[in-house]
Amino acid sequence: MAARRVAVTGLGVVSPLGLGEASFFESLQAGRSGVRRLDAPFRERLSTRIGAPVEFDGAAHFAPPRLRMLDRVSQFALVAARQAVDGAGQDVFDKARGRAGVFLGTGMGGAQTTDDGYRALYEQGAARLPPFSVLMAMNHAAAAWIGIEFGLQGPNLTYSTACSSSAVAIGEAWRRIRSGEMDVMLAGGSEAPLNLGTLKAWEALKTLAGEDADDPSSSCKPFALNRSGMVLGEGAAVLVLEEWEHAQRRGARIRGELIGYGLSTDSSHMTHPTVEGQARAMTLALESAEIDASAIHYINAHGTGTAANDATETNAIRQVFAAHADCVPVSSTKSMHGHLLGAAGAVELVATLLALERGTLPPTINLRMADPACDLDYISDGARQASGAGVAMSNAFAFGGTNAVLVCRSADAAHA
Amino acid sequence: MNTPTAHGQTFAVVRELIAKDHAIAPDTLTPDTPLQSLEIDSLALIELIFTLEERFDVVADKVPDDLPTLGSVADYIDGLVAARMADPGDAAPVA
Repeated sequence: MAARRVAVTGLGVVSPLGLGEASFFESLQAGRSGVRRLDAPFRERLSTRIGAPVEFDGAAHFAPPRLRMLDRVSQFALVAARQAVDGAGQDVFDKARGRAGVFLGTGMGGAQTTDDGYRALYEQGAARLPPFSVLMAMNHAAAAWIGIEFGLQGPNLTYSTACSSSAVAIGEAWRRIRSGEMDVMLAGGSEAPLNLGTLKAWEALKTLAGEDADDPSSSCKPFALNRSGMVLGEGAAVLVLEEWEHAQRRGARIRGELIGYGLSTDSSHMTHPTVEGQARAMTLALESAEIDASAIHYINAHGTGTAANDATETNAIRQVFAAHADCVPVSSTKSMHGHLLGAAGAVELVATLLALERGTLPPTINLRMADPACDLDYISDGARQASGAGVAMSNAFAFGGTNAVLVCRSADAAHA
Repeated sequence: MNTPTAHGQTFAVVRELIAKDHAIAPDTLTPDTPLQSLEIDSLALIELIFTLEERFDVVADKVPDDLPTLGSVADYIDGLVAARMADPGDAAPVA
């Protein structure tokens, strides 16, 4: 059986740049940052007090009895999934509930619940914890809730490979549809790490950016000489992936096509990435898409803003793209929405698909002087019109060494 | 049969909690109101019992699976309160 094609028919995003694809992309296009000083009551205990929070009121989306069962990470995931299904059309599952599933990525799961529980136990001496603590904190809660909400009876899995979690979830979902096992998959990721315990743990790794003295919102500076690290963000993105003919038969609006996925593991160091590992994931993604590197018109980089990642990723792109590396525009939208960890790959794939659909490549903001070790075209001078851009790559690399790369093309390019 | 007068205070607390949570008028709830009609499933019942345990200073070892109505929940809590009164544990015997 020939490999089946995978259409993207729904996009949902809950991000520091707004809820929904429209406000998300509008901010990306305008180069607006969602990074700011955190106003949480615990901020005095942080040495770096910046992050990229989502403006979100759970009560606007869930009735109180349900809301009390949902960690912030599950609230984000459910809202993103609803947006995606609304966009795809509620009939997307009509013929497919048994052949539809959920693959989600998260690095930290219900970290807020864990943090709240520890505070209650150790700080306040509570005798007992709220009854839903387990169901809220468990890593698989968000995916399970999505499956329940839409009654999906196919496989429901949570991938946790740190910062590549949701790219892995999407890639694995793509494989299930391509192989013929499934017809529709909700795939993406969610993360809500802006609680004291998680922030302090990240602080200790000394990979977080310092606050920009003049403008806190410009603290994340991927590829820049003066970059000082990553900025943690929160949010979720969920995509409806659908077998091509299934989507066409029901007259769905096809937003793009997922055409390739590459997965590799550095297996050398917990935090230090390797050129070889990243390059291998990109090469495998191109091979599975059956295209040459020169066919790529845009790369949404992992681009965290750390010293190690940005130079390594630049070298890996050079290794894979050779002479074409100087011709392909690359940007890190993390400069605006921060690093969403387990949700990063999904949020950035949404950014990539929207960039192709709208013919506008989002910029890397805060890049005034590039590091000499980072010498690609990073779209540092504002969003770029690129109406001819049809094929793009989205990179997600991770602590632990799991590299995941997705390749997609615009609906126009897919139909051509 | 459960009647409002039979439960008094405990039922009033249950009614107040549920009415507030579901944003409905308290007088629409009676001891005979089925939990099912309020979409109180086994998990929501665990939470309700948890809240009532704190309110009435009692501890339920398990959440019974035979509590079909609001009245039966109130009865169950009343039973726990009565048991605690009868056996105050390490507390000094009441003369």
